[in-house]
Amino acid sequence: MSNVSIDAMKTMKINIHFLSVLLFALVGCEINQDEIKPEDGFMKIYNHPDEQLAFFPESLVQMPDGGYIFIAAVKDENADIEYPYTSLTRISPSGEIAWTSEYDWLAPTSKLILENGSLGFVAMDPQFDAYVVSVDPGSGSVNGQYALDISMPLYAYSDAAGNLVVLGYDYVTHSSWISKYNSSYQLQRSNQLPINTDLEYLVQRHLNKTGQDYPFFVGEYSNSSGSGYFVNCFYNYTLRTVFLDGSSLSATGDIYSFQIEEGISSVIQKSGSIFGLTSYYEGNNYIIAAAEIDVLSSGNIKDLPADPLYQLTYKAPVMAGSLETETDPFTLFLSQTNDNSLLIYQYAMENDSLLNTHIRKFDEGVEVCDFIQTADQGIAVLASIFTLGKYRRPLVLKLTPDLFVPEE
Amino acid sequence: MRKKAIILSILLALVMDQAAHAQEPGFLNQLRIGFGGGVNFAQIVDLEPYSIYEDLSGASYTNDYSDIFQNLGSQYFVQIEWFYKFFVVVLKPGTYTYRFSKHSEILFNNETVEEEIPYLLRYFSVPLEVRYNLDLQRFRPYAGGSVAYSHLLPSLDASNETFIRSKFTAGAVAGTYIDLRYIILDLNAGYRFGLHNITSKADRFETGSGETYAQDDIMLNGLQINLSILFSLQKQKQYSNVECFY
Repeated sequence: MSNVSIDAMKTMKINIHFLSVLLFALVGCEINQDEIKPEDGFMKIYNHPDEQLAFFPESLVQMPDGGYIFIAAVKDENADIEYPYTSLTRISPSGEIAWTSEYDWLAPTSKLILENGSLGFVAMDPQFDAYVVSVDPGSGSVNGQYALDISMPLYAYSDAAGNLVVLGYDYVTHSSWISKYNSSYQLQRSNQLPINTDLEYLVQRHLNKTGQDYPFFVGEYSNSSGSGYFVNCFYNYTLRTVFLDGSSLSATGDIYSFQIEEGISSVIQKSGSIFGLTSYYEGNNYIIAAAEIDVLSSGNIKDLPADPLYQLTYKAPVMAGSLETETDPFTLFLSQTNDNSLLIYQYAMENDSLLNTHIRKFDEGVEVCDFIQTADQGIAVLASIFTLGKYRRPLVLKLTPDLFVPEE
Repeated sequence: MRKKAIILSILLALVMDQAAHAQEPGFLNQLRIGFGGGVNFAQIVDLEPYSIYEDLSGASYTNDYSDIFQNLGSQYFVQIEWFYKFFVVVLKPGTYTYRFSKHSEILFNNETVEEEIPYLLRYFSVPLEVRYNLDLQRFRPYAGGSVAYSHLLPSLDASNETFIRSKFTAGAVAGTYIDLRYIILDLNAGYRFGLHNITSKADRFETGSGETYAQDDIMLNGLQINLSILFSLQKQKQYSNVECFY
């Protein structure tokens, strides 16, 4: 063999070695996405082909199998009854529809009630009488109904002890009506907060989705002053947050604003007497990430130092809640902006530090309706979106836990 | 980041290694360098469909992709060849652009809204081909296999973010060299098989760029037709009747 051939062979061996190493290096670059599962994060828009239906999502719960059920009020343009009927939809952990069911109960409000494997919601009959309707979460069939002896239900809240607290409006006495029921839906205590003016028409328009959507809500607090509930409702001419004693449901304190044109849009107890609030007044939205609130006294919302949120929509609905992670607890405020974005403010639980702002932009208008912490320590957001800019439809957005864990 | 740095270091070391070997006698004589370009036709394989829309009335939404010969793309590359006897090892680093579109429908009672989402994926790709060629004097037909690593280049197209950056392909090539003495033409066709799903599972859903959709898990295959011009660094072969003296 000539020297030239031997040199060529050597060169070829070197180059084969080079190519092998190059290939090995390149193959090592491949991104392994096997750990990302469809249920970790998804977005679904639940469309209905009937253009004359408008869906107003209300509440979302996660089921033990990882799937979800959400409730929506459905307004039909052609219906004889002006109030929206009720729709429940069960979806898989990755958002695909398992079943959907419709009910004649009107103007469903509030959080879904999930206890001991049973699902319930609060709605009213055509006579404005409120009921709890219990359904089988496996099929959506109705198991039972329980009269709540309260009219015009505006919000229902299931507390940590399993009691049901319902806010209604009494069109006879012109009062906000708060009732507490045990887990068997038996009345435990009731109280009426006089509004001193007739707001029935506004309440009707709120319920039938033709007027302003008022931020009625109920939550619970516990601190050294006692434990009880905070209820955002009409009281003494104004829309205000009233603190109620947990046993007697009597008002102990409140935060008020100007009449019913301004108000508090969300409240969360952070710790002790520290609360986080959002509000709207004078055409703007504001956030008070952490403020000391005395639940035993009455105060004006404007006396609390607030930061403006100019980007939010007019009188923006805001959902406040907590997120417990393996590292830290956080306070989340969810809302929507004028440029069709869904916005999540992530605050530290113990103070007013804004840790992160998460933005999800959409082509059409969105409105946040509810959110929950999921079993994997992410969150699931229920919102409505105007599909094609025209048709209001439910939207579920599941966000992964790593979004909320601060980078080291 | 760390992994990229390691890979870049390895590549740099190998390039320096090759540069050192390039000084060895005989290496340059077996090297051909040139450039080329061509067209490609992307073929999308839908591994698993996803839809951002679910229908509350029970209807289902489907997606489909434009046919292969509607997806005309292009590529431009530098071609570096090293040959030994009947084997040729070819590197063709360059810009490879793929086009295709996705069609979907949103159903309503009185209207069906059709969405067509165009995609333009521009990769910096480094294909490596090994060819076996026959020496038929002026024409040297060949066949071989290829592997390629491609990196998706950034673009202003928001849908670009729904794809992962790297793409691996394997393929088969066939063609012929046409020896024109001072230059060599390389006319070839190849089919590249995508080796993995290129959709970013974490960024599948796109909502704020004028289109609202969920990206399916897809593989990007493609038919390529290329023409290259190569310059040999060795003495030219003699095929004509006119004698040349060097």
